[in-house]
Amino acid sequence: MGITFHIRRPNPRSQTITVLAGTQKSEKKMGRSTTSKDAQALFHSLHSAYVATPTKLKIIDSYIMFAVVTAVIQVVYMAIVGSFPFNSFLSGVLSCIGTAVLAVCLRIQVNKENKEFKDLPPERAFADFVLCNLVLHLVIMNFLG
Amino acid sequence: MSGRKSITISLLILNLLSFLPLLTISFSPDQPTDRRILVLLDDLALKSSHSIFFTSLQSRGFDLDFKLADDPSIAVKRYGQYLYDGLILFSPSTDRLGGSLDLEGVLDFVDSGHDLILAADVSASDLIRSIAAECGVDFDEDASAMVIDHTGYAVSQLEGDHTLVAADDFVQSDIILGNTKIEAPVLFKGTGHSLNPDNSLVLKVLSASSSAYSSNPASKLSNPPSLTGSAISLVSVVQARNNARIIISGSLDLFSNRLFRSGVQKAGSSYKFEKSGNEQFVTELSKWVFHERGHLKAVNLKHNKVGGTDEPSMYRINDDLEFSVEIYEWTGTSWVPYVANDVQVQFYMMSPYVLKTLSTDQKGLYHTSFKVPDVYGVFQFKVEYQRLGYTSLSLSKQIPVRPFRHNEYERFITTAFPYYGASFSTMAGFFIFSIVYLYNK
Repeated sequence: MGITFHIRRPNPRSQTITVLAGTQKSEKKMGRSTTSKDAQALFHSLHSAYVATPTKLKIIDSYIMFAVVTAVIQVVYMAIVGSFPFNSFLSGVLSCIGTAVLAVCLRIQVNKENKEFKDLPPERAFADFVLCNLVLHLVIMNFLG
Repeated sequence: MSGRKSITISLLILNLLSFLPLLTISFSPDQPTDRRILVLLDDLALKSSHSIFFTSLQSRGFDLDFKLADDPSIAVKRYGQYLYDGLILFSPSTDRLGGSLDLEGVLDFVDSGHDLILAADVSASDLIRSIAAECGVDFDEDASAMVIDHTGYAVSQLEGDHTLVAADDFVQSDIILGNTKIEAPVLFKGTGHSLNPDNSLVLKVLSASSSAYSSNPASKLSNPPSLTGSAISLVSVVQARNNARIIISGSLDLFSNRLFRSGVQKAGSSYKFEKSGNEQFVTELSKWVFHERGHLKAVNLKHNKVGGTDEPSMYRINDDLEFSVEIYEWTGTSWVPYVANDVQVQFYMMSPYVLKTLSTDQKGLYHTSFKVPDVYGVFQFKVEYQRLGYTSLSLSKQIPVRPFRHNEYERFITTAFPYYGASFSTMAGFFIFSIVYLYNK
């Protein structure tokens, strides 16, 4: 049987994979390698598409990654040690999640491909981001104990 | 003329002054040994037949006041004050005590902390038996019963009916019976009594051997005797909770000169002792009962925070504190430090939260230090000390314990450092991000 894949991507590069008829074993083998090959191809296309995003958005994305990783580390630590000063735990996790959320909002508002926020000046978005972060950190410092 | 008058006046004044010290010689907490003892006798002949015992008491400094038991002038109390510190009742056959003394009076005397030596005998009166019963000692119901021991009797020339018993089953206590072991058996002839095993205040000092029994020697035994074996106590002591001490003996002859002086050979043993153990036994017991030995006092219960010297009015949880108390023992003439390694203090609120054994510096000071438990409330420092033969100590001091004030908690919790770190790192990350974002070309 022949299996044909058509994958739609922003980049006009499609790939067609045809599998020749053969034994079941070789079909299975081909199926597995097809799936892994597909995953690889998917990853490559995603990667190359991502490389094309503007630098500002990439900076925001790395900031978000940092915040999420910090949050995960704190949750793992709490699972090991126990939730003794629970308010400190909540404060730490909330600071990470809050910064991540605010950064995501900034990214949405600044991304030129979003039709919704076409008329919003990016300076206005950044000013909102800064003010919200100030409020967030004020709350965090008070709740940290 | 006037010279002689002044001499007589000064002599008179001197005489009057000499009575002043007498006012200070009496029972007091500083000098716990009794001084004035009332001795009630059935028969004034007892004064001479028991003279060794009485003179030994007088030579140790006691004032003995001899009276017949039914003397109408007997008064132990006047205007609410007791005239005597101790009472010796050597009147087993007296039905009614004279004067204002009766069963109630004797019991009040003991309840107010004074000491008593009570001797019963064969055919003791109901009064004496009920005094003993009130003190926790039950004599044989048959008033004419005597203690008979066919294997532990004292060998004598006369063909006796084995009512003179040679007893050597003493209580193991150096405080009650003295440091020297009593080698010779004690001769005893009289009634036996038993103690209630639940009563923790009475103690058998001299028990009969396991072959003894209590019955009337003149009549045939129709049914088995109720009191047998080592459950029969010949001499018992009671130390009341107010530290009054009582000796109850089933024999008046135990104290007599005749038995003090006679030799003793226990049936079945070939060794004959020149002198019976009666005199040593009675002397040591009388030293104990009149508080010449085994009397403790505890003073100066102090506590303070480690590093401070004065007693705070309140402690905080998890404080470190030090506790000390001084315990002294009376030797008959002076207070010496009491040395033991089993005095304990409790930090008590409904149940002891802390129980520590106090360590001593051999000079009477007992001290320890511990941490206040993590519970707040009103606590007591309690020292409860009850040992065989010694007076019981029961001290307590109340102290409140408060929880932390709001600014006494630890400022930074160690386990929360990762959270502190995360919060500050997000702040720093925000700052760096905004610089990078704004200045990125």
